[in-house]
Amino acid sequence: MKLRLFPVLAAALAALSLAPAAHAQRAARPVELLNVSYDPTRELYTDFNRAFAAHWKKETGQDVRIRQSHGGSGSQARAIIDGLAADVATLALAFDVDVLHSRGQLIPADWQSRLPHNSSPYTSTIVFVVRKGNPKGIKDWPDIVKPGVAVVTPNPKTSGGARWNYLAAYAYGLKANNDDHEAAKKFVGDVYRNVPVLDPAARGATTTFAQRGIGDVFLAWDNEAFLALREFPNEGLEIVVPSISILAEPPVTVVDKNVDKKGSRKVAEAYLKFLYTEEGQDIIGKHFYRPAVSEAAKAKYASQFPAITLVTIDEVFGGWAKAQPEHFGDGGVFDQIYRR
Amino acid sequence: MNSTRTSRATAIAAALTAIALAPFTAQAQAAAPASAADEIAALREQIRLLDQKLRVLERNLEIKDETAAAEAKKQPKLTASEGRIEIASADGANSLRLRGLVQADARFFFDDADAAQDQFLLRRARLGFEGRFAERYSFIVQPEFAGSTVSILDANLAVAITPALNVRVGRFKTPVGLEQLQSDSVAFFNERSIATNLAPNRDVGVGAFGSVFEKRLGYQVSVTNGVIDGGNSPASSANPEGDFTLAARLFATPFAEDKDSPLKGLGFGLAGAAGNYGGTTANPLVNAYRTDGQQTFFAYRGATVADGTATVLSPQAHFYSGPFGLLAEYFRNTAELRNGANAREVTNQAWNLSVGWVLTGEEASYRGVTPKQAFNLSAGTWGAFEIVARVAHVDIDDNVFVGAGTTSLASPNNATEITSYGIGLNWYLSRTVRAGFNVFRSDHKLAPAATVPASGNALSDDETVFISRVQVAF
Repeated sequence: MKLRLFPVLAAALAALSLAPAAHAQRAARPVELLNVSYDPTRELYTDFNRAFAAHWKKETGQDVRIRQSHGGSGSQARAIIDGLAADVATLALAFDVDVLHSRGQLIPADWQSRLPHNSSPYTSTIVFVVRKGNPKGIKDWPDIVKPGVAVVTPNPKTSGGARWNYLAAYAYGLKANNDDHEAAKKFVGDVYRNVPVLDPAARGATTTFAQRGIGDVFLAWDNEAFLALREFPNEGLEIVVPSISILAEPPVTVVDKNVDKKGSRKVAEAYLKFLYTEEGQDIIGKHFYRPAVSEAAKAKYASQFPAITLVTIDEVFGGWAKAQPEHFGDGGVFDQIYRR
Repeated sequence: MNSTRTSRATAIAAALTAIALAPFTAQAQAAAPASAADEIAALREQIRLLDQKLRVLERNLEIKDETAAAEAKKQPKLTASEGRIEIASADGANSLRLRGLVQADARFFFDDADAAQDQFLLRRARLGFEGRFAERYSFIVQPEFAGSTVSILDANLAVAITPALNVRVGRFKTPVGLEQLQSDSVAFFNERSIATNLAPNRDVGVGAFGSVFEKRLGYQVSVTNGVIDGGNSPASSANPEGDFTLAARLFATPFAEDKDSPLKGLGFGLAGAAGNYGGTTANPLVNAYRTDGQQTFFAYRGATVADGTATVLSPQAHFYSGPFGLLAEYFRNTAELRNGANAREVTNQAWNLSVGWVLTGEEASYRGVTPKQAFNLSAGTWGAFEIVARVAHVDIDDNVFVGAGTTSLASPNNATEITSYGIGLNWYLSRTVRAGFNVFRSDHKLAPAATVPASGNALSDDETVFISRVQVAF
C-alpha cells in the first residue's frame, strides 16, 4: 500500500467533504444573532425578536435565538468596533453607525442606502416628562432653564438619545433667537446648568427621574416617555409636548464583517427586513416608536403620538457628519457649555 | 451593598443637613418668621432641596459604580486560580494559558532487584503554553524538560473553521489509542498500560477534527510522517521512505448531551492507521515494548527494519457513571518487517481493561477527577481517593522469532506474551496535585526457543514493581 500523493489528496478531500456536511448541519442547527442596540429599545426588540423567531422558523424550519445588548448608543458603537460580535446594529443615530465604517471598517460606506427609509424603520422625537400635576408649570423649552428647575437628560458624549435632546434644545434656541448661534449656545448652556445628573444612557435617565425621584422634567424619547408612564403608574407622571422638537431617525444595519465571519448574513438581513413588514411595523407602533413605512401602522398608531413641529438634523445642523464633531467632539460646543 | 449605601446616605444626609440648616438657623435668629405657616413652608422647601441633593449625590455615586463595573468588564482578565493561570481578552477571543506538569516518582522492584534499579525518577517535567487568537486560531507549545535532553512534545496550530471542522498542523498525538490520547496526568495509573506500546504516539503532520450530530460523534483524521508502535516521531521529523501515514478515529458519545441518562458517560469508537514504512539501520522505524516498570520485555534485532505496509486497528470504549470509570481498548498491529533477506509480515496484539472507583464520591470522567474539597489537615478535609485496577496483555507474533541464527526479526530471548495486573490508589489532594500508589505484576512467557535468561536479565523473573508518584498538573 503506497501512501504518497494519492492518500494525501484523499485525506484532503475527505476533510473537505466534511465542510458541506458541516454546512448542512449548521443549517439545521439553531442559529444565534446578536443585536447591539441603544438603551430604550429593550422592550421593542424583546417583542420583535419573538415575532421574527416564529417567522424565521416558519419560513426556514430553523430556530433562531436573538441575544440583545443595550447601552448608550455611542458606547455600543465603540464596543462593536472593539470586537463585540454584533450581527446587527440598531443604534440611536446615523453617526454611531457611520463610525462602524469610518473607524471599524466593519460595514460599507453606503450602508444607509441598503434598506428603505435611509435604513430607519422607525422614527421618534423628544418630549418632556414632568411630575404629577406639573408643579413647576413646565410647558415649553424656556420653562426648563428657569432657576430651581432640575432637568434630567443623559450624557450626549455616550447616549444617542441625549444628543437628540441637546439638538432639540439647540434648535429651539436658534428659533427663539433668530438663528443666533451664540444665543442658542447660551440657551443650551442654561439647560445643562439645570442638569444635576448625567446618566450614561437613556434608560438610566429614566431610572434617575422616575425611580430615584430626581428632577422636575425629563427630556426623553417619546417611546421612553410613554414607557415611563406605563411602568410607574403611581408616580402620576405627565407628558408635555414642547412647541418644537427634532425628528430622530434611529438606523439599523447588518455588521458585514461579523456576519460574514459567523456565516449569519442571511438570517441577519432577514431580521432587519422584517422590521419593514406589516408585522414588524405594527410591533414598532405598539412600543411607541413611529412606524416609518407602513401606512396601515402609521394610521393605527397616529392617535398616540401628539402633533408636534419637528425639525430635522439635516436642515438645521447640516447632518450628523457636521453636527457630531461641532457639538459633541472633544472641545466642541457641549464641552464648552458643560464646564463644571 | 444596601447597608453600605444606607450608611453612606446617612453620612451625606447629616452633612447636608448641617450645611443647609446653618444659614437657615442664622436667618431665623436674625429675623422672626412672618408666620408659623411660612416657617413650615420654608422648612418643607429646605427638606425638599436637601432630599433632591441627597438623591443626586446617591445617583451620581451609583452611576460611578455602574460605569466602573462596565469598564471593568472590558478589561483583559487575568486568572490566577488553582489549575488555571491565564490572561484573556474581555471577550475571551484571545488568550494565553500557562500549562505545567511535573511528576516525581519513586520505584521499587521486588523480584528483579538484580536487573532493575530502584530509583527516584523525574518522569515528566513540562512547562508550556496554549493560547488562542481571534477566537478561532489556537496553538500549543509543550516542551519536555525531563530526561537528558529537552524536547518538544506538542507544537501545533489549530484553526476552528466550524465546530464540525477544525484543522491542525504541527506535532500532535496520532489519533488512535484511547489511553494514549488521554492526558498523562488524569490516567488511572501512573504508567499507561502495556497495550499502549502498540499505539502510535506523537507525529508531525496535518489533521482535521471536530464533532457532529450535536457533539455525539467525534472524528479525527491525520496525515503524518508516520510512527510505528507506540513511538514518537523522531526529533528530526525524518520520513525516510517519503511516504505518509493516514490515521482516522471515530468516537461516539451518543448520550453525552443527555444529562439525566445513565449512559451519558458511555463512549465507543474505532481507530486505525495505515502507512508505508521504509526503515534503515540508522532509523529502523520499529520500537521496543516496555513493562509497567519501563523495562524492555521485547525488542527487535538491531538489523530489523520496517519495510512495507504497517497498519493498526483499535476498537475502544470508556464508560463513566458517578464514581465508576472503565476504559478498554484492543490493538491489532500488522507490519511488514525485514532482517536482511528475512522479510515477514508480523501481527502483534494487545488489550487493556482498566477500572476505577472514587471512594469519596466525586464523579469519574475521561478528563479525570476533581476533588470536592482539597486536602487541608487543619480543616479536616482529605481531598478525594480513588482505587483503580487493571489487566492488560500483549501477544507478540511468533513469526518474529523464525529464522536461523541472527536472521530472525527478534532474538528468542524476548517475551512473546506478557500479562500485567495492576492495582492502585490515587489521592487527589487538590485540583492540581495528585499522589498515586501503584503495584504492578507482569507475568511473561518467553519465546519458544529462548534460553534461560541469566540472572540480572529483565526477563529472568516476572516483574513486580511498586511505583509511587506525586504530580502537579495545571
